[in-house]
Amino acid sequence: MKKFIFTPLLLLAIGAIAQNPVIRDQFSADPTAREFNGKIYLYPSHDILVPEGQRKGWFCMEDYHVFSSENLTDWKDHGVIVTQNKVPWVRKDSYSMWAPDCVYRNGKYYFYFPSAPAAGGGFAVGVAIADHPEGPFTPVAQPIKGINGIDPCVLQASDGNAYIFWGNGRCAKLKENMIELADDNPKEKVKWGDREMEMVGVNCLQGLPNRQAEGPFAFEYNGNYYLTYPYVRENTEVLGYAMSKNPMGPYEYKGIIMAEHPNGCWTNHHSIVQYKGQWYIFYHTNFFSPNDDKRRSVCIEKLAFNADGTIQEVKETMRGVGINKSTEKIQIDRYSTASADVTTQYIDTTRAFSGGSATLPAKGSWLKYDDVDFSDLTDGYMLINVKAADNTEFCVREGSVKGKVLARFKLTVKPEEPAGGANQAMSRFRRDMRNQWLTQTAALDYTPKGVTNLVITNEGGGALSVDWIQFKNRPKYFSAASAAPANPDEEGFIRRWMLLEPIDKPNSGNTVFTDTYLREHFNREYFKGQQTIVPKDGQKVTAVFQQEQAPAGFGRGQAAPAKPEVKTVKQTLTWHAFDSELFNVKLFRFAEKWGEKVYGVLFWAVTIIDCPEEIKDVRLAVGSNSASMWWLNGEEVLLLSGDRRMVKDDATSQRITLKKGRNILRGAIINGPGMSDFCVRFIDEKGNPVKGYTIINNK
Amino acid sequence: MKTIIKNIVAFSLPLLGMGTLKTQAQIGAPYIHDPSTIAECEGKYYTFGTGGGGLISEDGWTWNGGADRPGGGAAPDVIKIGDRYLCIYGATGGGLGGGHSGRILTMWNKTLDPKSPDFKWTTAVEVCSSDGMEDQDAIDPGVLLDPTTGRLWVSYGTYFGTIRLIELDPKTGFRVSGNKEKDIAIDCEATDLIYRNGWYYLLGTHGTCCDGVNSTYNIVVGRSRSVEGPYIDNVGRDMYHGGGRMVVAAGDRKTGAGHFGRTIIDEGVEVTSFHWEADFDQGGRSVLAIRPLLWKNDWPYAGEQFKGGTFEIESERRGYALELTVDFVRMNVARQGWFNSDQMQQPVKAVENQKLEEVIDGWPKGNIPVRIGDYMFRPHQRWTITPVPESGGYLGGPYFKIVIAGTNRALAATEDVEVTTVPEFTGADEQLWRIEQLIDGTFRIMPKAIPGKSGINTKFVLYSIADSTPTLAEYDFKSDNSKWNFKNH
Repeated sequence: MKKFIFTPLLLLAIGAIAQNPVIRDQFSADPTAREFNGKIYLYPSHDILVPEGQRKGWFCMEDYHVFSSENLTDWKDHGVIVTQNKVPWVRKDSYSMWAPDCVYRNGKYYFYFPSAPAAGGGFAVGVAIADHPEGPFTPVAQPIKGINGIDPCVLQASDGNAYIFWGNGRCAKLKENMIELADDNPKEKVKWGDREMEMVGVNCLQGLPNRQAEGPFAFEYNGNYYLTYPYVRENTEVLGYAMSKNPMGPYEYKGIIMAEHPNGCWTNHHSIVQYKGQWYIFYHTNFFSPNDDKRRSVCIEKLAFNADGTIQEVKETMRGVGINKSTEKIQIDRYSTASADVTTQYIDTTRAFSGGSATLPAKGSWLKYDDVDFSDLTDGYMLINVKAADNTEFCVREGSVKGKVLARFKLTVKPEEPAGGANQAMSRFRRDMRNQWLTQTAALDYTPKGVTNLVITNEGGGALSVDWIQFKNRPKYFSAASAAPANPDEEGFIRRWMLLEPIDKPNSGNTVFTDTYLREHFNREYFKGQQTIVPKDGQKVTAVFQQEQAPAGFGRGQAAPAKPEVKTVKQTLTWHAFDSELFNVKLFRFAEKWGEKVYGVLFWAVTIIDCPEEIKDVRLAVGSNSASMWWLNGEEVLLLSGDRRMVKDDATSQRITLKKGRNILRGAIINGPGMSDFCVRFIDEKGNPVKGYTIINNK
Repeated sequence: MKTIIKNIVAFSLPLLGMGTLKTQAQIGAPYIHDPSTIAECEGKYYTFGTGGGGLISEDGWTWNGGADRPGGGAAPDVIKIGDRYLCIYGATGGGLGGGHSGRILTMWNKTLDPKSPDFKWTTAVEVCSSDGMEDQDAIDPGVLLDPTTGRLWVSYGTYFGTIRLIELDPKTGFRVSGNKEKDIAIDCEATDLIYRNGWYYLLGTHGTCCDGVNSTYNIVVGRSRSVEGPYIDNVGRDMYHGGGRMVVAAGDRKTGAGHFGRTIIDEGVEVTSFHWEADFDQGGRSVLAIRPLLWKNDWPYAGEQFKGGTFEIESERRGYALELTVDFVRMNVARQGWFNSDQMQQPVKAVENQKLEEVIDGWPKGNIPVRIGDYMFRPHQRWTITPVPESGGYLGGPYFKIVIAGTNRALAATEDVEVTTVPEFTGADEQLWRIEQLIDGTFRIMPKAIPGKSGINTKFVLYSIADSTPTLAEYDFKSDNSKWNFKNH
């Protein structure tokens, strides 16, 4: 047991990435998501912090990573696939590896990417080719001739052709080799200031809302071709789209897919993909770089079509699309919806990657977090990381603000004032936990099934901040005793016991468990037949007894009062027939589940030993936390007094005889401030386990 | 140990400004709980305790507050890795501090000296935690840098569940990626891991903490050929089943040994640091203890604090005793037995020891050299060893003066790196002796200074260069010439 001061630290708490953004260990932008081999492969560009000598505050990208996921929650980073200084045609250290695409055709994966050519002249688009979606990719030595621009996107149309879109909406047909433009593409002269250039293909956004249009993403669905693209509607980019019956247009403008970022992040760039029957849009925000919108991070939302083929506008969310396993650490501050007063903030404003928290400012505030999968939770409890300025109360509910309560938390953060007469020395252990992140745990009143939505409701006085929640399965300590006789375990430990729910027995710590105290207190009658009962599972007893009150704080450093206050107590207690999963019977966990208290309690344990023959000269070997007393067939055989821990073979009886047939072994274990448990076996003269008997379940 | 030192005499001596205290604890203000393994930094010693802060000592004997560890919480450990110090600590306080939801953090510093311009702890990072519901309390870390592999291991936990083993990256202090906790013990807390001679040892603190003079804390050990256990005690019992062999228990008017640390001073010279829950001679306060760490059959146990007394100083080489180079004075007692046919007619009468006053007038008045000879419990062979606390000390003890019993004639180092006695003890450094028990139970005896050589001597020890000839020579644990025993008989 240790003590003293609590000092909180801010922690990086990132678990499964079910929320937006989905890549959290690096920046990622301009995401192109493609389904290959049943998985989603994500090809973003890779923003980095600007190195010395490069333009400050500008886009800066030197390489590409590829990520994959089967569930849009667990993402695997396959590492760098293409890097600027290993592409022959790219100008060294130009840091201009902008928005890419990747498609599969004729057994190969073609990765398209723009960059600054060594030969000069704006941007070109190159190709790298691989046998697998994660590479290794081999860059083609020269960029695609005829493309002068950025942001390639390749559409493989149902007409059998592949089309490449780039820049501000220009489109041209590719040759079957996928690395050259087709010879039969239209060409047009385009005036740029006083320069006139020949451009291949057609500008599909001509005449449409197209101010500063870039990042085209084209796809085909239900006989329609969609050309979706960022452009500037007022001050920053929105995602708009146009539809056509032909890959190269003409396209008709249809509206907005996603409005401007609420925080002013200037760019947006996206891709749209159908995966396992659901359409998704991948895009980016600058969540992890709130003060510099050139460092961006990929997000995902669901996307839906209207019956006429038009696209429903998508709102960017913090929640994203991933389904959390309940047993993962869930960043619940990235909620789906919330009451209007809920705010979010970075936990550490200097390190946005540390994630955020949500504040529920007052009684009645709530937030809802969708899609948590409870199918992996059986015997669970929950953890929640919270912060409060004052003592408060909150609930975790299912579905809605009035939903079923999973757990109710009463949060005490103010140091309690010492009560009158309490041990003043204990006040050093009381800590001020106001405005500090605290991990709270609670057993569950109710365990949801399947995938469901969670709601946190502020039901106390003041503001409550939440960071993450997690559910955990409890270890199994006991199972119901089976009908068949049990054997001692390999080391001879008796694991089958009838345990009585704990008797409330306040005491002042383990050092009061003297022989005199124990004989007096173990030999008192708590319930009728205490020394003779051979209980059955579920049998109830009524315990009525005189209970001495112990001073608070388990008596460390203080004298017990000369005459403790005495109360008459009545408890109705049940016997449970259990097989312990461990060699040591975890009474603490038994009390936690079945009792009113875990400390300051007295347990009764009974087991029935069936010997085929008499066994002479054995010893009962016991370890117990804390003191205990043991009777075999009604005779006291062993007392473990004083400050005990559960140690294998801590003490033994003198030589005793197990008679042929049934023997009743009875124990009483008293607990102070520790984790009560015991281990019991019989050993022979040489200390070896005696195992020639069975243990009966008294059904 | 018990066979070597019998009837140790406790001395009462006035300490500077502290009234009368027995010289059986560290002096100064060595008040600490859960001291981290002693770390050395730029010639000073440091140990850090529960609650923050820690102790500093210039010489290893006088300890005072002043060390600086942020973060509070419980039971830190500190280890030097490369040219930096890694501190690991529990951010919370265990059961009494309000729950078993614990976190263990690591942080680095280039120096432990809070006055140094380089003194700056890095941001602490979490390496493990407990959620308050599981059988686990993530506090009380102890760290081992495995000398055979360079891997960095941590044991942690309390009575609330299991003791666990995790691995850290010694370059970063972060948890090794993918490392899973392993349960290695129950029924203890404030653990530490050490390695010696092909064995890994898990030292655990058993018993009850934080109950002052009633605390039953004691330190037990199990050992394993693998750092991952199982850690087995001397009767073959796994520490995972509560096993453990005693390393140090209450005694010497102190109760509650807890939070083991091991420091290797020299080959064969080791100490253990820990705290006493209550030192009866210091008002029942929790204090730092430094004891010799001894090894027998590859089991560690704490030696006693050497406090002095009157002894034969016996060479481990031949078993002869250190003595003044003076004439052997025969005792005038008639021979008994078959020499004397009258013996059966006479009552048995005890023979008195030869007394100092019977022989001292025959001794030279100036310096008298020393030699080593058959022990006959004669006055020129009986040495009184007394702490000289105002002269400072070293890790684990104060300097001593070594005088012929009943006189002030003091053993002294000489300029020509030999040993002699001077007629009067003056307190000069060459008359002060550092006495340390070695891991095999013998002692080394080292002058604080050698005339003509600058600084504190840490190399030359009293040495049997021949069976009968002592000198000062470089300490060599492998040679019995370096080793001595103190016998009171």
